[in-house]
Amino acid sequence: MPSAVEIRDLVKRFGSFVAVDHINLEVGRGEIFGFLGPNGAGKSTTIRMLCGLLQPTSGKATVGGLDIATQSEAIKQHIGYMSQKFSLYDDLTVEENIDFFSGIYGVPRERRSERKDYVLRMAGIEERRTSLTRLLSGGWKQRLALGCAILHEPPILFLDEPTSGVDPIARRTFWDLIYQLSAAGQTIFVSTHYMDEAEYCHRLALMYRGKIIALGTPAELKQSLASHHLLRLEVSDLVGSMKVLESLEGVSEVAVFGGGLHVTVADPSPAIPAIWAALKQAGIAVSVLEQIEPSMEDVFVAMIEEEERKAA
Amino acid sequence: MRERLIEIIRKEFRQAFREPRMRGMLFMPPLIQLFVFGFAVNLDVDHSRIAWMDGDRTYESRELLAGFQGSGRFDIVAEPSNDQQVQDLLDSNKVDMIVRVLPGFERDIHRGRTTSVQILINGANSNTASIVSSYASSIVNNFSSNVMEQRNRDRLAARMMPTAAHIAVPDITAKSRVWFNPELKSRNYFVPGIVVNIIMMVTLMLTAMAIVREKEIGTMEQLMVTPIQPIELILGKTLPFALVGIVDTILVVVAALLMFHVPFRGSALLLLASGGLFLMTSLGAGLFISTISQTQQQAMMTTSMFFQPFFLLSGFAFPIRNIPEPVQYLTFLNPVRYFMEIVRGIFLKGSGVDVLWPQMLALAVFGVVILSLSAMRFRKRLD
Amino acid sequence: MNLRRLKAVTKKELLHIVRDPRSLILALAQPLVMLLLYGYALTLDVDRIPTYVYDQDRTPESRELIDQFRGSRYFQIQGSVNGYKAIDQGINTSKILLSIVVPSQYSHHLLAGEEAPVQILVDGSDSNTAGIALGYAEAVVASYAAQMRSNAQVRRGGQALQPPVEPRIRVWYNSDLKSRNYIVPGLIAVTMMMIASMLSSLTIAREWENGTMEQLLSTPVRPGELVLGKLLAYFTLGVADMLIAIVVGVFAFQVPFRGNVAFLMLTSCLFLLGALSWGIFLSATARTQLMAYQLGMLSSFLPAYLLSGFIYSIQNMPKVIQAISYLVPARYFVTILNGVFLKGVGMRILGGEVILLTLYAVLVFVGASRKMRLKVA
Repeated sequence: MPSAVEIRDLVKRFGSFVAVDHINLEVGRGEIFGFLGPNGAGKSTTIRMLCGLLQPTSGKATVGGLDIATQSEAIKQHIGYMSQKFSLYDDLTVEENIDFFSGIYGVPRERRSERKDYVLRMAGIEERRTSLTRLLSGGWKQRLALGCAILHEPPILFLDEPTSGVDPIARRTFWDLIYQLSAAGQTIFVSTHYMDEAEYCHRLALMYRGKIIALGTPAELKQSLASHHLLRLEVSDLVGSMKVLESLEGVSEVAVFGGGLHVTVADPSPAIPAIWAALKQAGIAVSVLEQIEPSMEDVFVAMIEEEERKAA
Repeated sequence: MRERLIEIIRKEFRQAFREPRMRGMLFMPPLIQLFVFGFAVNLDVDHSRIAWMDGDRTYESRELLAGFQGSGRFDIVAEPSNDQQVQDLLDSNKVDMIVRVLPGFERDIHRGRTTSVQILINGANSNTASIVSSYASSIVNNFSSNVMEQRNRDRLAARMMPTAAHIAVPDITAKSRVWFNPELKSRNYFVPGIVVNIIMMVTLMLTAMAIVREKEIGTMEQLMVTPIQPIELILGKTLPFALVGIVDTILVVVAALLMFHVPFRGSALLLLASGGLFLMTSLGAGLFISTISQTQQQAMMTTSMFFQPFFLLSGFAFPIRNIPEPVQYLTFLNPVRYFMEIVRGIFLKGSGVDVLWPQMLALAVFGVVILSLSAMRFRKRLD
Repeated sequence: MNLRRLKAVTKKELLHIVRDPRSLILALAQPLVMLLLYGYALTLDVDRIPTYVYDQDRTPESRELIDQFRGSRYFQIQGSVNGYKAIDQGINTSKILLSIVVPSQYSHHLLAGEEAPVQILVDGSDSNTAGIALGYAEAVVASYAAQMRSNAQVRRGGQALQPPVEPRIRVWYNSDLKSRNYIVPGLIAVTMMMIASMLSSLTIAREWENGTMEQLLSTPVRPGELVLGKLLAYFTLGVADMLIAIVVGVFAFQVPFRGNVAFLMLTSCLFLLGALSWGIFLSATARTQLMAYQLGMLSSFLPAYLLSGFIYSIQNMPKVIQAISYLVPARYFVTILNGVFLKGVGMRILGGEVILLTLYAVLVFVGASRKMRLKVA
């Protein structure tokens, strides 16, 4: 089965600044593909190239089998795109926005009202169909924007930071929707800077400074941190503990997390007793010391720091 | 407070001057406007195009033609030979006037009879028409009195008075002297006015837009959450544009003097001072407009809607004297009127504070009132 | 061109217009305001010139001369003064525009049959008015002088001599020489240009600023459809403005209308299309509304106002400027308007202008579509 998205050595330069630096990846049909990274990593730029909004500097990519450099107009018929600002027209009502995008995407006449009802229901804004979009709260606007992007049932969906600035409950609801769509067979390419959302994706790419520094399923990525084991501590003196542990051998990273500390070690077996001893010697009481599974956030932070170390 | 104010002003300047396009926009349009206005705006009628229809073709008719050509004001561009051509010339605006000498012109003159010259004026542009009309009349009248003098001499010769006394005929002549603008160049009248136009446009528009833009984008909310005082915000938003306004003023005045050789007989300092007074009004107005507009489009449309009447009723192109009485009284409430009088006075008449103090006082009063009211309203919006 | 997408765009644009009542009202009120100003308040016609009289002679003869001015509708004698200082003051403070000074030996010269000069001082600041005022003053003096000469002749030689050659003046099209009659038709062009360029230039720039343009570009919509859709929406607004201007001009201000209504409508629509397309072209070039607006003012409104022949006749401008005016579509439209209103002419005379307007509209529309980039960068 041909992939939904295929990228080979894609590069985008703005003057002397390289925004996207020779990236390679593939997205299969029906996948929820997450594209993560800090701001300025190059995620939006990549998505825009795939959607035909930016001309690549070099490299090749196909979306649904169509070449982004030469067939971008055809691509637009088969994709849905939700931009970072979820650009809806504020001075139009919910219905009018839907009608507009319906017309623009060429939704067949017979399907129009069915699709409109579907989107209204999906977004949960049926009672608000005649409200001005300006008056909707963030979560509703976001779902409406998603709805407008899928009116024409595109096989591939590109969502650029769709959950920015939206409350956690709305975020959760949104991801439920994405799952629904994926279950129905749509391929979804989602970018986000919320690390926890990475868990929701089938596969991920971590992008940093224009390069992809990690690619795989969430489990695979956590596995790759073979040399990183995470310990959680709760201590009586945070600052003191940090000082002690930072210089301890076998400890790679100490960070404050929640009310306690996350300590990254190369090998937990010798490390745990060593930490006990060191803290006891410093006269610090330890109430909790356990090994935990790293979260995606931990994984990414570690990877990014690794990159920075390499660069330095 | 000082630091915050400085920060805002700095930000405003950065925003305004960062983009080269924006930089260009602050200084290019005024110069372009000056250039176009200065060269285009011109009510002088120097080269009127006329058509000449000579049905007589005699010495006298050619003398009359010489009179027209010699005046330096007319260019003969056509010589129609029938009525249809006359109609077409006027319909298609190819000429401002058609002079028609009928057959028998010379004969009538020699026979001592009264004859006439037909002058058809293209009334489409009535301003040009009346000017051209009076030129034409005076040329014909001149020609006429020459003829009369000739006749007198002939008559005297015929009667053969023994004391060939020179019969003196009373001759009342008008000796005109034009003050301030002896060559009657309309440019000298308009260019100072353009200076006013430009300053007002720039400061009014930019101030209103800068504030409304922040509203539209949403950064205004951001600002409001900081400990910033309303007065700091107001000053921060208006001072940069006041500065731009002053720089533009100097730029435009200098360009006007260099490009158009408009006389400047008064005090530059007085001009700057009055400009400062006027700025209070235009900045205040900009501020006010920003409080009643939600989008940039609204700000722009409101600005031009109000700018037009205020500007046109200030005596810029259309003398206030000609305006119907009731509306004339309204112009007393127009600050632009006073600034226009000041600017013209300084450029052309070299007027000083002794003459212009009433206008300056009026400007000061308007400025303070408008700026305070707008500031108060702006403040309320923020709270 | 997909009709369905076009319809969607046009409908959306119309909704935007309707949902901003403030702008809508301002747009519709604009022609009214301008008509009020130009049709009622503003005029270049000169009369009731404030004048001072300084009679140094104070004889029956001098008073008779002064009466000539008193009796003329063009002059309004504000007072008699006793010195140049007062005249100075009057002109400096703009209390008066003109002053008639009759020198002390006036009647003496007159009765002796010599040249009797009369001094006319005028404030040249407003050169247009000054020139016209001077013309009137000189005409008053000249006709009085002719009368005097004729009287003298009668006293000496018998017959009253009539001037041998008289100018017979007839004014075509605008016999009252009302400036309103020629300004109002041209005003229609200026108003439309202003509204058209302002509104249409803002529309695309606004979408860029809001971010909705990016969303649009990711859809199958084509630039031509976008441009045409916006064009059609603003066209309806422009037509409304035009009708308001024409109706008020003709019925409220009694500007003569001697031509063909259908021809007027046709040419107006052509002009409007060109003006709107230009605005959209600008809008596609500028990324911010402020820039789009400035460009619009400079390239649409200013030329339309100054270089179209609407008030300032093009013939008297420097050659370079005249050449530039050929590129201003408003120029051709003003010619058409004046022709239709005042002269009642049609295609035969104005055919050239109509062709040029059509050409302009087509070229700019194509240009605007091309300029609408499909890429963000």
